[in-house]
Amino acid sequence: MRAYLPDYELRAPRSLTDALALLAREPGGWRAFAGGTDLMVLLEAGLLTHRKFLSIWHLPELKGIEVANDHVTLGALTTYTEVQRDETMRREFPLLGAAARETGGIAIQNRGTLGGNIVNASPAADSPPALLVYDAELELVSTRGTRLLPYREFHTGYKQMNMQSDELLTRIRLPRTTGDLKTYYRKVGTRKAQAISKVCFAAGARMNDGRIADVRLALGSVAPTVVRCTQTEELLRNQTIDEATTKAAREMLMTEITPIDDMRSTADYRLNVAANLLADFLRQLKHT
Amino acid sequence: MSAKQNQRPASKQGSGVVGQPLNRVDGRLKVTGGARFAAEFPHDQMAYAVLIGSTIANGRIKGFDTSAAKRVPGVLAIITHENAPKLRPVATNPAEGDAAGRRVPLQSPVIYYHGQYIAVVVAETLEQTQQAAALVRVSYDEQPPAADMERERGKAYPPKGKVAGKPADTMRGNTDTGLAAANVRVDEIYRTPTEHHNPMEPHATIAVWDGDKLTIYDATQYTYGVRHAMATTFGVPEENVRCICKFTGGAFGCKGTVWSHVSLAAAAARVARRPVKLVTTRQQMFSNMGHRAETEQHVVLGATRAGKLTAIVHEGLSHTSTFDEYVEPFSKATHMLYACDNFKASQRLVALNVGTPTYMRAPGETSGMFALESALDELAYKLNLDPIQLRLVNYADTDPDTKLPWSTKLLKECYRTGAEHFGWARRKPAPRSMRDGRYLLGLGMATAVYPVNHFPSSARVRIQSDGSAIVESSTHDLGTGTYTVLTQIACETLGLPPERVEVIIGDTNLPKAMVSGGSSTVMSVGSSVQGAARAALAKLVETARADTRSPLYGASADQIVASDGRLALKSNDARGETYRDTLARAGMKEVEGSYDTEFNDKEKKFSSHAFGAQFAEVRVDPDFGEVRVTRFTGVFDIGRVMNMKTGQSQMKGGIIMGIGMALMEETVLDTNSGRLVNRDLAEYHVPVHADVPQLDVVLLENFDEHASPIGAKGAGEIGIVGAAAAVANAVYHATGVRVRELPITLDKLLGKGALA
Ligand SMILES: Cc1cc2nc3c(=O)[nH]c(=O)nc-3n(C[C@H](O)[C@H](O)[C@H](O)COP(=O)(O)OP(=O)(O)OC[C@H]3O[C@@H](n4cnc5c(N)ncnc54)[C@H](O)[C@@H]3O)c2cc1C
Repeated sequence: MRAYLPDYELRAPRSLTDALALLAREPGGWRAFAGGTDLMVLLEAGLLTHRKFLSIWHLPELKGIEVANDHVTLGALTTYTEVQRDETMRREFPLLGAAARETGGIAIQNRGTLGGNIVNASPAADSPPALLVYDAELELVSTRGTRLLPYREFHTGYKQMNMQSDELLTRIRLPRTTGDLKTYYRKVGTRKAQAISKVCFAAGARMNDGRIADVRLALGSVAPTVVRCTQTEELLRNQTIDEATTKAAREMLMTEITPIDDMRSTADYRLNVAANLLADFLRQLKHT
Repeated sequence: MSAKQNQRPASKQGSGVVGQPLNRVDGRLKVTGGARFAAEFPHDQMAYAVLIGSTIANGRIKGFDTSAAKRVPGVLAIITHENAPKLRPVATNPAEGDAAGRRVPLQSPVIYYHGQYIAVVVAETLEQTQQAAALVRVSYDEQPPAADMERERGKAYPPKGKVAGKPADTMRGNTDTGLAAANVRVDEIYRTPTEHHNPMEPHATIAVWDGDKLTIYDATQYTYGVRHAMATTFGVPEENVRCICKFTGGAFGCKGTVWSHVSLAAAAARVARRPVKLVTTRQQMFSNMGHRAETEQHVVLGATRAGKLTAIVHEGLSHTSTFDEYVEPFSKATHMLYACDNFKASQRLVALNVGTPTYMRAPGETSGMFALESALDELAYKLNLDPIQLRLVNYADTDPDTKLPWSTKLLKECYRTGAEHFGWARRKPAPRSMRDGRYLLGLGMATAVYPVNHFPSSARVRIQSDGSAIVESSTHDLGTGTYTVLTQIACETLGLPPERVEVIIGDTNLPKAMVSGGSSTVMSVGSSVQGAARAALAKLVETARADTRSPLYGASADQIVASDGRLALKSNDARGETYRDTLARAGMKEVEGSYDTEFNDKEKKFSSHAFGAQFAEVRVDPDFGEVRVTRFTGVFDIGRVMNMKTGQSQMKGGIIMGIGMALMEETVLDTNSGRLVNRDLAEYHVPVHADVPQLDVVLLENFDEHASPIGAKGAGEIGIVGAAAAVANAVYHATGVRVRELPITLDKLLGKGALA
């Protein structure tokens, strides 16, 4: 049943400084409320146990897509719609646009944010695999200062992350070194939209002289967190793409992920489809 | 007047508006928010009720602690079995469309299923009510639930009642000898899961008492059923209860029964002495408003080399609740669809700790035809025969069950037109033989059938002194287009344009109509509207003929025609006058005609059914097992098409629901706890727009005077009947993998490897 609203508190600090001050004053007392598309589902179901929220929706420091020489930074409040509309994102980071297009429906794309998707920490979230491929870095800010953390080190276990209770995720930084990657994004689900992924796969690679010079593989819904499959990447690096390589890579991938049976799918299916996605990616890589 | 005298084909007269794709007359109200649904009638002093559901699936309530809940400001009442007023059970009468869920709520501490209502909280605001409800503490004596049909199958029992009007075990000819004579056999088990209706509008009730008079605003398919149930439950005369339902936001069967929240809303209003609004949650709808029962169906077909069926056996299990009996009549259509001398049907029930299942769009046909039409497809492959050809070889020229002639049956035409539209000839017979790039391509088809059900119903038509007309009946518009189609029927007889006809429905102060179920509404109520319009018009004609000042004075009635709001001589249009003139001169405010349809089904001389042929094309991704329906054709004989647009929309809705059934819909019950796992629309998947291809729907021209006086056969349900089987057969054709257990999810299809 829907939670009782008067039990909740929502504050809207005027500035980032005010927000951080509040977080620092009462560590663990306040949590960010961005687009609310994850939080409101919990509220409606009566499962939102935390009671005090800080609306960050209007904080300018957390907004906008900024293009610098060597990187692009996205405010944590960047919505899926904004990702799809941005010219640089479309050109250099197509995986993120592909993920955004397949996230929820139009309303969710207008309201849901990348920051919320990251901090909500669902292993089935759809933009994290893309962020992993692009070697994204997170900018985490508190009154103690600002730190930059490789996204790959952010999720430490199911819904566990490398973030302190007084920190806000302010920006996501993407190095502009991946524009020439051949990319592949595929969300597999029971229906064409509004389905939580059974498996989500994002990949990028660069070929040199018929050999794989650079390869990045990331998967969602196959482990307690989204994962970058570094051992499989290692195995593929400097290889030509042939049947033997594909077979070895498939086998390696299947040892690197640990999917489970749940209401949405089976572990068997997820293992096989993850391997099939990799094979499909390699096939396309070879033929382009 | 009886229905018989009324059987002139109506299309021969009138303004030709029937059949036209008239836009919904209530469309504007709907898109502007002007259409009032049950929960949207304001009342002074309205209080809110919230239902609390059991968190166990089997056992007893030990006690409640309501102390914290009572302290919430604004709380008016907390009603449990310990303090509930006495509510009387409603005897179900199948002829009344099964007016009530039989178990009376809050009369005992026994828990039969998870989510069963155990308390109602009433407070001043919705928020207070929800808060108080969340604070009610309950202790239980929990017992392990029966929540797995497989585990309980040893306790299967024969239904006490009939299965769609037939004994649970029936035999025609002898299936043993039939099977012995067969050259080829199919012998398989097919399974369909529990499914939920999921209309957009939740069930909602507003109850207002005035002394011992009760007004109920309810989201329902059956206003008179609600009236009857409330009168019985509260021991007041039927006339004291008025039920109003102007619009129903989808139903698909779940609003045909008066579920216990309705009497709980009325009880809450009585206890709190306030008008009470109660809107159920989506989660509550999964537990308490019925569902399509899970089935396990064993189908055995025997056939000669030429494909002639020598035997059909259709038997198996479905579930019911532990306190009530509902049989999902999956063998229903198998009795009559194909010509076969040897037929056996047998159904058993397994009782589970769940709410009672109920009718859901084409109950019986939908699950049964998945099994039968899949089995026929399997037989076609074994015989190396085209699936359509196999169905033609076994085409029934008369009803094999009742031996009656068909009233009309354009099924051959459905196959032919469907095959043409769909491009069936391009299909290569072998499974896995067609590809489109990376995708495996498959084409499949299935037959659809649904019986003609008509119920006695009444309507009143009043031609007004301003030349307009009012049509009245207590029937319902479930989003199906009742307002629009009844407008067209009245227009046709009265010779008026649609904007001059107002249809008023959904109120027990109006002439009685039965449950809007079984695809019966247009046939039944439409026929009474036509009769009432004729009666009203006849009175108008009489008035004109009898009036010396009328240009029609003395003309014989059969020489007078009505069109454009005028009566005039057939032979001389100039000799006539407007309705307005006739009434004004006579000093009359209106003329009124009433009509009661009665269908004498006991002495039926014909067997009446709607028919269809459905064709699906799928593309299957061999690496991921994703199935996409990329084309769909459905050709139907629904008798006379009353409105091409709403008629096609019904077929499309049915087909979309069938695609959902084939590929995604499934309610998951936790077999240990008896809880529903996916009781929301995030995890209970129905197709989204992107899953639905262009749907090619053809409605054949027909006028079935034996089916109903207006020539219609009924359209609400047939669209779904063969859809799931057509998709499943296409998936087999694409992949060579036969999934006999719906839904055909990616994991089932892919198994442990790839399809490539
Ligand atoms: C109908 C529907 C469909 C959906 N479909 C998809 C889908 O296809 N794919 C998918 O991945 N997700 C989907 N989602 C989930 C959700 O929309 C996304 O995860 C979204 O990105 C969340 O962003 P938000 O701003 O709404 O987060 P919120 O709900 O506001 O917050 C989510 C969590 O993140 C924290 N948080 C948010 N921003 C910050 C910040 N800057 N710093 C620190 N903490 C922060 C909050 O405290 C909270 O714990 C869907 C949701 C719905 C309701």
